Amino acid sequence: MSQINYRTINIDALDPESSANFPMESLLPATLPQAASASDAANAATQVRQMLRGGDPEGALRTVLDTAPLGGDDRAKEVHLATVIDVLQGIRQGEMTRILEGVCSGDGGAERADCLMKYLYKGMSSAAPSSGAQSPKKSVSPQDTGFSQIQARNLGEGGGGQQMSVLLSWHERLVDIAGTGSIVRVMTDRRTV
Amino acid sequence: MSQSLRPYLQAVRSSLTAALTISNFASQTSERHNCPEIEANSSPEILLNPLHISRNENEKVKIEPSYNSVRISIRIKQADEIEHILVHKFTRFLTQRAESFFILRRKPVEGYDISFLITNFHTEKMLTHKLIDFVIEFMEEVDKEISEMKLFLNARARFVAESFLTPFD
Amino acid sequence: MTITGNLTTATHLHCIPSIVLPVMLLLDYQNALIQSLLTERFSGAPPASIDQVVSDFDGVTFHLSTPESKTKILISINVKCYKELVQYGAQEVLEREYGPYIVSPEPGYDFSVQIDLEALPAEEEARNDLIMKLALMKRNAMAAPFEKAFDEFNKLAEEASRYTSESAPQGIQEGGEVMAIHYREEEAIYIKANWDRVTVIFSTVFREETDRIFGKVFLQEFVDARRRVLTLQNAPQVLFRNDPPLELANVPGLNASGGEVSYVTFVLFPRHLTPQRRYENISHIQTFRDYFHYHIKASKVCGSS
Repeated sequence: MSQINYRTINIDALDPESSANFPMESLLPATLPQAASASDAANAATQVRQMLRGGDPEGALRTVLDTAPLGGDDRAKEVHLATVIDVLQGIRQGEMTRILEGVCSGDGGAERADCLMKYLYKGMSSAAPSSGAQSPKKSVSPQDTGFSQIQARNLGEGGGGQQMSVLLSWHERLVDIAGTGSIVRVMTDRRTV
Repeated sequence: MSQSLRPYLQAVRSSLTAALTISNFASQTSERHNCPEIEANSSPEILLNPLHISRNENEKVKIEPSYNSVRISIRIKQADEIEHILVHKFTRFLTQRAESFFILRRKPVEGYDISFLITNFHTEKMLTHKLIDFVIEFMEEVDKEISEMKLFLNARARFVAESFLTPFD
Repeated sequence: MTITGNLTTATHLHCIPSIVLPVMLLLDYQNALIQSLLTERFSGAPPASIDQVVSDFDGVTFHLSTPESKTKILISINVKCYKELVQYGAQEVLEREYGPYIVSPEPGYDFSVQIDLEALPAEEEARNDLIMKLALMKRNAMAAPFEKAFDEFNKLAEEASRYTSESAPQGIQEGGEVMAIHYREEEAIYIKANWDRVTVIFSTVFREETDRIFGKVFLQEFVDARRRVLTLQNAPQVLFRNDPPLELANVPGLNASGGEVSYVTFVLFPRHLTPQRRYENISHIQTFRDYFHYHIKASKVCGSS
C-alpha cells in the first residue's frame, strides 16, 4: 500500500453523500416505460419499414417515435436509431414539412417532436466516429515529425456527408415547428434515446 | 454559401441559442467557489446531455452544456495535409492569444481543433445572441481563412520556384 | 461588437498581407562574412590580427587567421566531402583559381590560401576581384564535379554527333559515371553526364512532417513552373520523386533510407552547358538545396507566431 499517494485520491468519489455520486436514476420519472430489448426494437423496425414501403411515411415516422425505447438498453437504442434514420432518409425533401406538421400535432405531438429532436442529435453524434476513437491520432501535433500519422488520418470530405445533410435539413424544419424549447428538452431530459 | 453549409450553421445557431440558457451557480463541493461546472465536472447532475452537430466526418461541433457554462468545440474542415497543418497553426495562433477572445479555451477538447467556453459571467456581460453570432462568424471565416492561407502558400511556392529557375535561362 | 472586432484584427494580423516575400529571395554564391572582412582589410585599414572561424552552408567552415604576421591572412576551408571532391578534380580547379596563393593546408582543414596584404594588386578592381574569388572558395571547391560533368558532356556530345542515335556505341548511349558528393550528413548530390544532357540529382531529407508537406508543395511548383510559364520554357527540367530515380539504380545503399528521402532531379540541357552560361549555372544550381529549405522554413514562420 505504501506506493499509493493519498493526496491524489479523489475522496469525493468515495463519499456517498458527495455530489459527484449523485444518483442519476432519481432524475428519471416513474412513468418510464418498461425496458425494451434489442429484439423488441427489431420487431418495431420491421413494422415501421412495412409502413414505409406501404406508402405511409407519416404513419411510419409517428410509430417509430412512439415506440422509442426510452428505457431500453444500448443495443435496443442503437437498433431503433437505425430505424429512425432509415425513415428520415426515406422521406423526400419536399414532403418533410407536411409530414412533420402531421406528426407533431394531435395527441402527444409535442413528445414526438422532442423525441425526433433527440434522434437527430444522436444521429449526428454516432454516425461520425466518436471523439474517443479519434483522439489518439489527433493528439499528435504535426510538428512531432514521423511520416506516418498523417496518412492514418481520414482526410477529405469525410464520410457520412449525405446522411448528415438529411439530418440537418430535418433539424432545420423541426426547429421551425417545435422551437428552441425542444432543443432545451433534449439537453435536460434524462430519458435518452 | 454552399448548399449544406447553411443548414449546418443554422443548426449550430439554434442549438447554441438553446444551450446558452445558463445562470449563476455556486459550486456544490467547495464553499464560496464558483467555477464553470462543465470544466469542474463535480457532479453529473449539473451536466446536461451534449449536443453533436456534424456536417460530415471532418466538420462537426460538439456543445456540452451545464448549469452555468457551455463548452463548444469545433472541428475545422481539413481537406488535405496542408490544410491540417494550416488549421493547427491557425488555432495555435488564436489559443495563444486566448485572453483577447474572452470565451476562447486555451486547449481544444480532444478530437476537435478549437474550443470555446462560455460561462454565465460572459452571458451577463455580453449579449447572448451576439456571442452566438461570434461563434457562427468564426466558423464561417475560418474556412475562408484556411483556404486563403493555402492559396498564399501555393503562390509563394510558385514565386520561389520561378525565381530559382529564371537565372538558368 | 468587441469580440468580433478582435477576431477580425487578429486574423488579419495573422494572415500577413500577401506578397510580403522575403527581401532576400535568391541566395548569394559567395560568403558574405569573408567578403566584408577582406574588404575591410584590403581597403588599407591598419593591419590587425585576425582569428575567426566562419561557417557557411552545408557544414562548411572557414578559418581566417594571421598566424605569422598581421599582414599575412591565412584562409582555410573545411568541406565535409573534400575527399570526394578531390576525386572529381577539385585540386585542379582550386589551383586554377588560387594558384599563386596556395599554401599547404592548415591542420584540421582541407585547403588553405595565404594573402599578403603588402603584395596586393594595385588596382581597386583587381583587389575586388580577388576578394570575390576568395569569398567564392566554397563554390569553387564544389564546382569541380560539375565542371567535370560539363566537360564530359562536351566530349560525349562530340562523339555522338558522329553517329545516328541508333548506331551509337553503348558507351555514348549510357553516358558517364554517376558522381556522388555526400556534402551533408544524409544528403548528397549526384551528377551524371550524357551526350545530350547533364543530370543533377539532389537527395534531401525532411526532418519534420510539416517540412515534408511544405516541401511537396514547393517541389510541385518547381516541376510545374517550366510547363506553366512561357518564359521558363528554357529552364532545366525538374523532376521529383520519393524513390531513387533510374539514374541512381547502380548506386549502392540508397534504398535502405526508407521514405524520408526525396530526390529532386535537374536536367540541364545543352543550352545550359555552353561556355558562356557555364560559370553562372554551376554557381546557381549549387544553391538549390539551401534555397529550397530556406524558403520552406521561411513560409513556416509566416503564419505562426
